[in-house]
Amino acid sequence: MSAVPGAAGAAAVAAIRARHRLRWWEPLPWLAAIAVFFTFPNHLAFGTQLLVMVLFALSLDLVLGYAGIVTLGHAAFFGAGAYTVGMLAAHAGWNEPLSGLVAAAVVAGLIGLVSGLVLLRTHGLTLLMLTLCTMALIEEGANMGSAWTGGFDGMPGLSFKAVFGVFAFDPLYFRVQYLYTLAVLLGVFVFVRMLVYSSFGRSLTGIRENLLRMHAVGAPVRRRQVVAYAISAALAGIAGGLFTQTNAYVNLSTLGLDRAAGVLIILILGGYGRLYGAIVGAVVYLMLEHTLARAYPTAWQLGLGITLMAVALFARNGLIGLGDKFARWLARRRA
Amino acid sequence: MSAPLLETRGLARNFGALVVARDIDFRLEPGARHALIGPNGAGKTTFVNLLTGALAPSAGSVLLEGTDVTRLPQAARVKRGIARTFQINQLFRGLPVLQNVAIAVAERRGVGGRMFRPAGLRRDVIDEAMGLLERMKLADEAGRTISELPYGRQRLVELAIALGLGPRVLLLDEPAAGVPSAETHVILDAIDALSPEIGVLIIEHDMDLVFRFAKKITVLVQGAILAEGPPEEIAAHPEVRAVYLGTEAAHG
Repeated sequence: MSAVPGAAGAAAVAAIRARHRLRWWEPLPWLAAIAVFFTFPNHLAFGTQLLVMVLFALSLDLVLGYAGIVTLGHAAFFGAGAYTVGMLAAHAGWNEPLSGLVAAAVVAGLIGLVSGLVLLRTHGLTLLMLTLCTMALIEEGANMGSAWTGGFDGMPGLSFKAVFGVFAFDPLYFRVQYLYTLAVLLGVFVFVRMLVYSSFGRSLTGIRENLLRMHAVGAPVRRRQVVAYAISAALAGIAGGLFTQTNAYVNLSTLGLDRAAGVLIILILGGYGRLYGAIVGAVVYLMLEHTLARAYPTAWQLGLGITLMAVALFARNGLIGLGDKFARWLARRRA
Repeated sequence: MSAPLLETRGLARNFGALVVARDIDFRLEPGARHALIGPNGAGKTTFVNLLTGALAPSAGSVLLEGTDVTRLPQAARVKRGIARTFQINQLFRGLPVLQNVAIAVAERRGVGGRMFRPAGLRRDVIDEAMGLLERMKLADEAGRTISELPYGRQRLVELAIALGLGPRVLLLDEPAAGVPSAETHVILDAIDALSPEIGVLIIEHDMDLVFRFAKKITVLVQGAILAEGPPEEIAAHPEVRAVYLGTEAAHG
């Protein structure tokens, strides 16, 4: 088959070959994050929490946005990572940050692997409920096992070694925490980006788009789903580990429905299945929460609710999708 | 005589008291152009699902070139060369046409699970997918999203995906269903142009298409084979005429 395709065919081939290439705007969010470091030195604690949530949302995007696995229990892995780091530091004196994150990833990833092997036999509402149940189990475990986890109060006042033995966390100014989290986030982002543009990532999209067809082209569907789920769980575990390290505490807020629903809202708000939706969603969600909670301490959730309804009604593909629409409209006007 | 390409022995399936396949002994010869016909609810699609492994039989076995594949899952049977199209399009609707076929080709080549290399750098996969689209006269639509294509063109993508799996057995479940009659010739031409090495089983309601295509016809009624033979024999078969063909037999 060496026939020369027409112009339209050649364009299609060129498009599919160029999908993974870096686009001009892709460095912008990272440059913005560095700019924030210099321009808002007093807001870096907030900025660090924002970056942690971006990482968490990114991990969810891999399963929800790309593989189409609907889960309401992703905080199970965030919490598993957070508690792993916390318990190692409190009970085993293991408080070197980077190896702590590795431990968080391994523990959360293993939980993801084992629960995925069981849960991913189901789908739809059943899967949704089972992910919720798994998270509730882990949450209750953290609540009950107070000798290890600190129970309801969690574990406050943890201390961690300096990153590379040089950059010490400062509890007042989050400069080191911020840059450390940003660096980890960038590493994870590059990894996830590689995954979603690989053949594996394409097959996840295939599973999301049509399960029946994916079975019929001979893909090991369940294995792919479980692998994606375990990887995503490990990444969520890293996010949780960062939470504990940068805050120097861990408590039940890292587990539970509030956090699981929050990350889901972030992804829907930003746009799922497109990497940058996690960034846009987390920035908008946390900024809204931050400013609304200050302006209307009693009714701030109303503002969030209205925003979410507007997105659900008018921007099905999230804010990134809205941006796409706008870009297309501009291009049409120019043409 | 050598083993047939695909064979079933006493294949049966029931859903509770409802028997949808009973004791089916069926042979598909290498290079066959075989049609499976029968009234609605005769169990034709069930039979295809039993062949592909989408459904497990209650009894009996499926053999591919003499090897028992009854216990093999769907994916393993695809790897051994059983490919199908669906009665109702099952495509990746949100993805471009080329990507739809490339996913199938990547799975056949065993690179569908690779994580560390961009899919866009797999020139072999992309070129092969594009070649298939050219064969289906779909090259100009390669960059369009499936949902933008008319239904008849989507049927051709179904066929291109199945061919991308490098099948030795091709099961076509009503390939012309839902296609406007003015466009069915495109599907027919594509089927006519299939490699003679592929054994093709076509399930079809359109008798013109069946009699034009098939060298052999199997009639399925209530989950069991009622008659089998060359088209002229089936067209003249009194029971078949009574049960299924009715006045349409005149077309034969």
